[in-house]
Amino acid sequence: MKLHTVLLAGAALATGLILSRAEPAWAQQKDVKAALIAPLSGPWARQGELVRSGAETAIEEINEKGGIKALGGAKMQLVIADAGDTTEKAKNAAQRLLSQEPELIGGAGAWLSSFTMAITEVTERAQLPWLTLSYSDQLTDRGFHYIFQLSPTASRQSELTLPTVVDFAEKATGKRPKTVGMISDNTAGAASFAKWVREGGAEKNGLKLVVDEVFTPPLADATALIQRVRSTRPDFLLVIPSNVPDNKLLFEKMNEFRLGKGVVPVVGNSGSLGAPELLKTVGKDLLEGLIVSVGTWSMKGQEEIVARYKKRTNEPWMTQDSLMGYAEMWILKEAVERAGTADRVKVAEEIRKMDLKDGPAALSLPGGIKFDEKGRRVDAPLVLIQWQDGEPKSIAPADRANTKANWPKK
Amino acid sequence: MEFGIFLEDAAQALATGILVGGAYALMCVGLGIIFGSMRVINFAQGDFMMLGMYATYYLATSALVGVFGLYAGPAVAALLSGPILFAFGWLLHKTMISRVTGARVADMDGGGGYAQLILTLGIGLVLQNGGLILFGSTPIAVLTPLSRQSWEVGTVLLNQARVVAFVAAIGIAALVNLFLTYSRIGRGLRAAADNPVAATYMGVDVTKAHRIAFSLGVAVTAVAGGLLASSQSFQPYIGIDFVIVMYAGVVLGGLGSIMGAFWGGLTIGLVQQLSTLFLPYQLQNTTIFLVFLLIIFFWPQGMFGRVSERT
Repeated sequence: MKLHTVLLAGAALATGLILSRAEPAWAQQKDVKAALIAPLSGPWARQGELVRSGAETAIEEINEKGGIKALGGAKMQLVIADAGDTTEKAKNAAQRLLSQEPELIGGAGAWLSSFTMAITEVTERAQLPWLTLSYSDQLTDRGFHYIFQLSPTASRQSELTLPTVVDFAEKATGKRPKTVGMISDNTAGAASFAKWVREGGAEKNGLKLVVDEVFTPPLADATALIQRVRSTRPDFLLVIPSNVPDNKLLFEKMNEFRLGKGVVPVVGNSGSLGAPELLKTVGKDLLEGLIVSVGTWSMKGQEEIVARYKKRTNEPWMTQDSLMGYAEMWILKEAVERAGTADRVKVAEEIRKMDLKDGPAALSLPGGIKFDEKGRRVDAPLVLIQWQDGEPKSIAPADRANTKANWPKK
Repeated sequence: MEFGIFLEDAAQALATGILVGGAYALMCVGLGIIFGSMRVINFAQGDFMMLGMYATYYLATSALVGVFGLYAGPAVAALLSGPILFAFGWLLHKTMISRVTGARVADMDGGGGYAQLILTLGIGLVLQNGGLILFGSTPIAVLTPLSRQSWEVGTVLLNQARVVAFVAAIGIAALVNLFLTYSRIGRGLRAAADNPVAATYMGVDVTKAHRIAFSLGVAVTAVAGGLLASSQSFQPYIGIDFVIVMYAGVVLGGLGSIMGAFWGGLTIGLVQQLSTLFLPYQLQNTTIFLVFLLIIFFWPQGMFGRVSERT
């Protein structure tokens, strides 16, 4: 062996020794990475922003409180990807994220049901546990094992909403509503809600569906839609849109056609109907009395969470989107704690076994955190909010609601 | 559906179609000026409209325009957004667009068309994402009581903000037409559009004519956006929704014809609204594409286009 070969081998050995000796210092726990895919550009960017601010609030809190204890205080890190404005872009974001971040323990997203449908095709194959606030029934009807749906499904929401609001109306006016109109967009979540109403749900509640219009967002003008409402005058109107610009057109047109301000009471389904910017673009008077079913909302028991969030973001209230983002990160944290490892398959197993009744995640979502075999949250109650005096306040479930329902009596 | 109700719906759809079409028409005129005089396929036009909307918003909420009140203020702000975007268009043409248009690209592959396409698409992307950084993702709108009130004509209700936008759109389109037809600069623009080489021989500064045409086109579309900004809330990506409407209108009216672009835009508004009487609402925008395809098949020169300029 030549001298320089010996020297090289010696040097390599020495380096190896140094490296191996140095290991304990380097072996500090690696960050645990959780993904968030949300629309951060395009027409749904604001909703994505709200989810992100909720998730970041949770991550900050988790790390402040000592990180993941089961992994020696490892910090949790949020890896964010933009779902953009099409299902194609959302799916690409998921693929990119998975190839760039092989150590993900789980993730959440992507707000719009249509996007979530696309990205979970990717995450399911990678066995990555995926939490979502999206409503569509289809998400958890495909036999997937790694998806967990936090909101009640859209059809469940519509199944619970209709009898509840019919009761509100009857108690307030003494008359049971007989007719209902429905205007929905054709995104996956809205389609699931509308399908249940259309296919026997309305009839089951003694209601005749007199207007049933579906539109493709974004709307150019809402005249033709509201004209149908004007000519048929239902006892109340179901509105299931997915973005604030469409909401503005619908509510202003209602007012213009003398149907607003409770003349035809409106019941909606969509987180976008409680967004702070809706107040700024539509105005307090046109929103007064609007009832909306959502996945979750600020309610009793969350005072600390909401205060922390408001301080961090300067938002006037904490919406479904932010609360869900917050809860999603806490659920992932809890699952890693229980699994004691950053192995995503084990984390998914822990989520399946989970039955949380307290702690930040359970506080954010009324009904606790427990999933059935489809990945749907067991006993997720109907959450209703109502715009009262310029703020959307929770009116159901009764035990945690901030205020009582107030059906318009015009 | 009862016949009475149908008639009421039809009258309402017709009125709304004309009102919505007015704003579309003005947008199309903006795009038509640019295409008609420069033959530039401009994919950033929707984003110039978006800038017009934001300019209107900031002007309307400023103290300067605030004195006009909630009724006249938004319209004044929309009109004032025109000069601002004119200057922006001027700058953009001077620094970028002029490099891929005019005499210097005549020898390029496809007459510079590919370069123009890529450049305007790129400008569009920069404006959208720059807008997201600068203005944020929260949808905003120019607030005015007009957008939620209407005037009643029989059973037909006319949205006040849309009526104001319609009247302003007609006025501006007429002024632009007068300017292009009778003013010296306008005649120069048309000469440069018809035959750049001959125009150069006759002493017309073609590059300058193009610069004016481009800036004017940007400004007119921006004003149209500004007029819409009180009915429609917007975010930095709103342009994409309108650029298709603009192209459909311009093609329908006849490529190269500015008045054609106006009537094309108006027709698109009518088609969009009247289609809801016969077809499901969710096919509303599909009918625009359908009309677009039918024109390309059966009437490639459009309503006012010359036979030599087929789609």
